[in-house]
Amino acid sequence: MAILDPYGDRFGRLLVAVAVLAVLAGVATAGAYAADPSTATPAPVAYDDAVELGLSSETDELMAGSARIPRAQVFYSQLQYVVGYNGVESFAASLDDGRTERQFGYPLVVYVETFDGGNPGVTDDGLFEAERSTDWVPADEATYVAESAAHSPAGETVVPFAERTNAELFAAEHGGRLLDWEAVRDRSFDVDSAATARSMAPARWAAADRRIADAEASAGDRHRGNRSTSAGGDALIVVGEDAPTIDAAAAAAPPNATVVVPAGTYEETVDVNESVVIAGDGARIRGDGNGSVITVRAPNVTLSGLSIDGVGNRTRDPEAAEEDGTWDTNIQLGYGHGDAGIRAIDAPGLLVDDVAIETNASGVLLREGSDAVLRDLRVDGSDDWRDGFMGVTGMESRVTVVDSRFEGGRDGVYLHRADGSVIRNSTFVGNRYGTHLMYTGDALIADNAFRNAEFGGITVMTRPSGNAIVGNDVRGSGAGIQASGTRSYVGYNTLADNGLGFSTSARGSLYERNVAVDNEVGAHATTVVPSSRVVANDFVGNEVHAEAGPGALRVWAVGDRGNHWEGASVGLHEPGERAYRPTSPVDAALHREIAAAALRESPAVVLLDRLRGTVPGARSGSVVDPSPAPKPHAPERIAAATDPDSEPVHPDWRRELDHTMNAHDRNATDGTRSRLSNVRTRGLVDVGGRR
Amino acid sequence: MRDRILAVDTVFRRELATVLRTPGYGVLAVGLLALLGGVVAVGGGAATGFVPAVVDLLPVTEVVVPLVAFVVGYRALLVDADSGELAVIRTYPVGVVGYVAGVMLARSLAFLAVVVVPYAMVGGFVWATAAPDTGIFATHSGVDSPLLYLRFLGLLVPFGAAYLSLATVVSAVASSRRGAVALAVLALVGGVLGGDLAVLRSLATGTSPSAIPGLLALTPNGAFRGLVFEEVVGVAFAPQGGFVDVGRAIGSLLGWTVVGIAVSTVTLAYGDRLEVLLEGVRARLAE
Repeated sequence: MAILDPYGDRFGRLLVAVAVLAVLAGVATAGAYAADPSTATPAPVAYDDAVELGLSSETDELMAGSARIPRAQVFYSQLQYVVGYNGVESFAASLDDGRTERQFGYPLVVYVETFDGGNPGVTDDGLFEAERSTDWVPADEATYVAESAAHSPAGETVVPFAERTNAELFAAEHGGRLLDWEAVRDRSFDVDSAATARSMAPARWAAADRRIADAEASAGDRHRGNRSTSAGGDALIVVGEDAPTIDAAAAAAPPNATVVVPAGTYEETVDVNESVVIAGDGARIRGDGNGSVITVRAPNVTLSGLSIDGVGNRTRDPEAAEEDGTWDTNIQLGYGHGDAGIRAIDAPGLLVDDVAIETNASGVLLREGSDAVLRDLRVDGSDDWRDGFMGVTGMESRVTVVDSRFEGGRDGVYLHRADGSVIRNSTFVGNRYGTHLMYTGDALIADNAFRNAEFGGITVMTRPSGNAIVGNDVRGSGAGIQASGTRSYVGYNTLADNGLGFSTSARGSLYERNVAVDNEVGAHATTVVPSSRVVANDFVGNEVHAEAGPGALRVWAVGDRGNHWEGASVGLHEPGERAYRPTSPVDAALHREIAAAALRESPAVVLLDRLRGTVPGARSGSVVDPSPAPKPHAPERIAAATDPDSEPVHPDWRRELDHTMNAHDRNATDGTRSRLSNVRTRGLVDVGGRR
Repeated sequence: MRDRILAVDTVFRRELATVLRTPGYGVLAVGLLALLGGVVAVGGGAATGFVPAVVDLLPVTEVVVPLVAFVVGYRALLVDADSGELAVIRTYPVGVVGYVAGVMLARSLAFLAVVVVPYAMVGGFVWATAAPDTGIFATHSGVDSPLLYLRFLGLLVPFGAAYLSLATVVSAVASSRRGAVALAVLALVGGVLGGDLAVLRSLATGTSPSAIPGLLALTPNGAFRGLVFEEVVGVAFAPQGGFVDVGRAIGSLLGWTVVGIAVSTVTLAYGDRLEVLLEGVRARLAE
């Protein structure tokens, strides 16, 4: 204590020390003002360590060959994660869209990969290709070739070079013109807006309608044609009359013939190697419990009016896995070679109509381009999913499933590299996953009902692009919708009584007009760097409306339109006036305990809340809706979802989307119209310089 | 000259002894640390970096720093005057200016210890613990840097000094401890809320919004807030600034400090005559 005695001898020395400290602190503070943190230039990182945004790098076209998307990595002022963009233009486009800057701050430094020594070129399909990229270069030091013959799977791409001469060489060979970074930034690229995301679903619905109509027409033509020419007797074969077994009939049938199978049980297995119609009428085909029951190896085959059982128990080929094979290859070899009620190999144009299958392996197995329409298919799988396999296994085949029912077994529909598939108006009960997509993009999963799926109703794994999941009703399942990938549309789904309603795993996607009712967790924000729009969803009665994994603050609203959260309006303030934070303990309790409203008004909470939305990129693990909607967007669906006995609800989303996309009032879900008109008028604006 | 410095030194040591013998200040510092720690823990900003931590601390700071300044300063000049010790001191060769300077120096040191040390400790905590949620991906610190927190600490000093100086005015003007408490609370509320309310009022009555940067800079709270936005938080946004008129804000904080000291000194020097005057007014009103 002596040293602190103001009257002591050593006090003078202490004073000097304090004075020196004060001067040092002053100098340090002055230094803090003199230094400019906004000029920090971190070095580029390995691209695999960046959090990826932009196009998907897992489309079939890219995975197959040497095609590449020129990539960029960006260090934002507020965001702790390095953001990687597939496609330099994806990043340039994000600069136009003020959302990125609001959420992550401004870019401190941008690096692009260059292709000077990578032998750059263009594939036969017009995609950019290169053996390798040479170096990461600051974006403003690179030269870019735009409007060349090189494209990305999504459209135009710009190719960066470190040396101008190399860019000139590339342009001389593949066309295009040279731009500097300023010009690339200012260029407008055709990016996916909310409108493109929305338009996917109706377009695919229509495409599926056409596929069904085509398949029907093709089958019907043959059927009618056969009747009219049945005088010849060779085109209409009746099992039991013209041939002893279905297999014999199918073997004897000429192309386009119809094999008629009268009612009864047929104990046999059938190989179909010709384009025929096998039309049953209450006929049951019973296999011998080994291998598949019907095997189709010809195009344009129709199977209808059949029941199938006696399928073998082998769910996959255990010896198929190659030691050096990738996981993907092994899955294809293994899953693609199990037993099934109907097995189709290289059989495009297959129509399966009004068929019921009992199986402990797969119901229908399609591989090698067996593009098929499956209508009114019923698959009864094992009671425990561990004992069975998929209702439909589709590999490298574009599958259209309508009006079908899948009960039990492992996955109702499992699709692997089945781009463009459509699954709609079907019912899934007691599967592991109802619908499970791997490496499958541009698919539509619409108006299905899922009940009691152990793991989840709809799951999309890997990182595909452009899937639409619309109008489904998932209840009593481990999870409603877990869809990863990019540029997806998840809308108009009703998710009730699940462990998790939906996750926002897909990047650059639109999640709108979903209803999450009475789930343990309504929605889970997964991606570390938020890049999706989550708007106009309803959250009611969930134990937790939303939770967030690691990453920057997620702002769930578009412009001044947010989501409806039960409880957000509790309290004395004007409904919708206060931001709602489903991940904050006070707000999360609002819909269960009214006293939380009083706690919420405490000065302590108000003080903390007030500024929390600033620097969202530097915040972690939370969700905020700055403008919660006071009223639910879909009250009738919420009412139906709370009623355990209600029929599955499927809103008329095609009409609503049509209306939204044609609407000219800005109230239609978000400011998409103004964004679109921006795109249209931007050319004009550019002439007169940037606004 | 040497005598004057000696006099200031003596007063300073005496005042410092008073401060050191007041255990309440130690408790105050510990309490402040606990409060700030709580804010940072509940707010969550400190988990990721300095800028979000400052964002969480800012509203609380605007209340807490003036409060501590008043607690440290509201009786600084009152006690000696009240007990008659000031009169005794004045019999030595100690001028009013020297006396006020000595007291202010000691109180400033106390204030710095009570306020800046806990804030610095919170900064150290952030420095030691702030990290991204996940290490799976490559991370960087963006613009976030300890330098920005140092800027924030640097701004606390003039902000606190302005209020400390106002507190000494209260201590010089008040004639009793109870009166000092009442005046201090009034000045605190007036300072923390009044200035901004006045700006709001003037906007409501038609003042042009372009006057906001200048008006905001006039009150200590507005000037401090504007400077924190400008120099600390705003760095994370596209460089544009303009949250406050920086020169005027700094001038205003220094101005409040200087004016406060001047008023205290004048009051102490001519207070007696003023008292006579006031007594006269009071007597007349009482009639």
